[in-house]
Amino acid sequence: MEKFLLLVRQDLTMLRRITEDQHHELIGEMQRWVESLGESNNYLGGEPLTNAGKYVTRDQVLSDGPFIEAKEAISGYILISAENLDQAASIAQTCPVVMRNEMVLEVRPILEMRNMKVDG
Amino acid sequence: MDKIQQEVDHLYKNCFGKMVASLLRFSKEIDFETAEDIVQDTFSAALASWKSDSIPTNPSGWIYAVCKNKALNKIKAGKKLAPLAFHERPFQPDYDFTETPFDDQQLAMLFACAHPDLAPKVQVVITLKYVMNFKVEAIAKILAMSIDGVDKILVRARQKIRDERILLVVPNLSKVKDRISIVNKIIYLIFNEGHKSSWGKEILREELCEEALLMCKALFDCKIGNKETAALYALMLFNAARLKARFDLSGALLDLEQQDRKLWNQDLIDLGCYYMQESRSNVISSYHYESSIAYLHCAAKDFSSTDWETITKLYYKLIQLNPNPFVELNYAIALYYAGRVEPAMHLLNYLQQQSFLSNYYLLNATLGKIHLSLGNFKEAKEFLLKTLQQTSFQVEKDFIQKMLDTIDD
Repeated sequence: MEKFLLLVRQDLTMLRRITEDQHHELIGEMQRWVESLGESNNYLGGEPLTNAGKYVTRDQVLSDGPFIEAKEAISGYILISAENLDQAASIAQTCPVVMRNEMVLEVRPILEMRNMKVDG
Repeated sequence: MDKIQQEVDHLYKNCFGKMVASLLRFSKEIDFETAEDIVQDTFSAALASWKSDSIPTNPSGWIYAVCKNKALNKIKAGKKLAPLAFHERPFQPDYDFTETPFDDQQLAMLFACAHPDLAPKVQVVITLKYVMNFKVEAIAKILAMSIDGVDKILVRARQKIRDERILLVVPNLSKVKDRISIVNKIIYLIFNEGHKSSWGKEILREELCEEALLMCKALFDCKIGNKETAALYALMLFNAARLKARFDLSGALLDLEQQDRKLWNQDLIDLGCYYMQESRSNVISSYHYESSIAYLHCAAKDFSSTDWETITKLYYKLIQLNPNPFVELNYAIALYYAGRVEPAMHLLNYLQQQSFLSNYYLLNATLGKIHLSLGNFKEAKEFLLKTLQQTSFQVEKDFIQKMLDTIDD
């Protein structure tokens, strides 16, 4: 099994607009999905992110960052294990919120450092 | 429901997957979607024709014959007909489908569903559809998904299976070996679904457990089952043995402590023990640990004599094998009952800090129950109230409410 990071990309302005109840429902939905990942032994961990953040470049620190108005910014992450990238992608596709087209999951394999040869 | 509809539904349930598999074998000209369309079409035709006429003496024969004709029409050019006798089996007079709940074609389908690129959830959905012949509506209900969601999963899965069509023709032995652990996982998840959802007291869900057991048995009948399968079979048998005792006469949920152990099915437990012996192996899978835990519960003559110390060790091993917060929750519970309250609480609090887990109803229910038994009523109430909001099953709500009622304000 390999590890994969699922980056949760959502429309943050939309997230701010929805009611508390809708937000609760969304969390519940993700919860049930994560639970099913747990049952199949694919879930390793994960956390949501708050909307606040800072954006740092060499010359300046933008306190708000450009992501506040972003249509598609990272709102959380999920760490899973899967057989291969195809399976990891297939797992991500089963997320009900992704199916409704209200969320995008970016699936990235985690590079296992111990398998790498370090020069020098 | 009228008789004709019933007959058609019955045939659909028993034959859909087999017919799709037969068609795919029948001719290389037929792809997955076409095969499904033809079978679907056949059933609509049956319903219409039988309603205006009457049910033929051999309904399954009728269905297969019409299906075959429709397939032949579809491939009129008729170039590459496989020499396979499509009609052989279905045309046996008075063929009783229940006598052979599982056949080669279903087995081939099962292995096709175990595609390593598909998500476990997807594998479960297509197995329910093509091996167990559940309708999309039924699958959506069982897995708490929307019909649309199930449809989307099926569409994508079909594309994958189409690419791997060769597996539907001959389950070649080396591929079978590669996929047996995925098949085991599918069966495990189907059983789980039937087991945990028996909250709703839906017959369909108990049926899921039975189907999972049948699939496991079929793997042994075909000599495909490995040591892992044996451990899985034992695990499911131990859990199935306790199914009936999970509710009291009024249908209220009972926890392990309150269950009447006399209601546990000793035959199933004995069979489980047999397969646990069979599962002995140098390679230990998670099913081995889980079946051992289930065995220890079955072997304890009452709750207080449960060997929690060994169960704790087994859960620890399980976590080493599959790091997973949901297993850690069970580990914490075992630690608590083994008398190690402090490490148990430590682990539970740690899990509570994990964002996804903090909203998990079973974690909050556990914390509530433990605080209650420790006499921390304020905390108990807090967690139990939280749980109450997080479960949608009435029997669970009643169960939690009962605990809440014991707390005086």
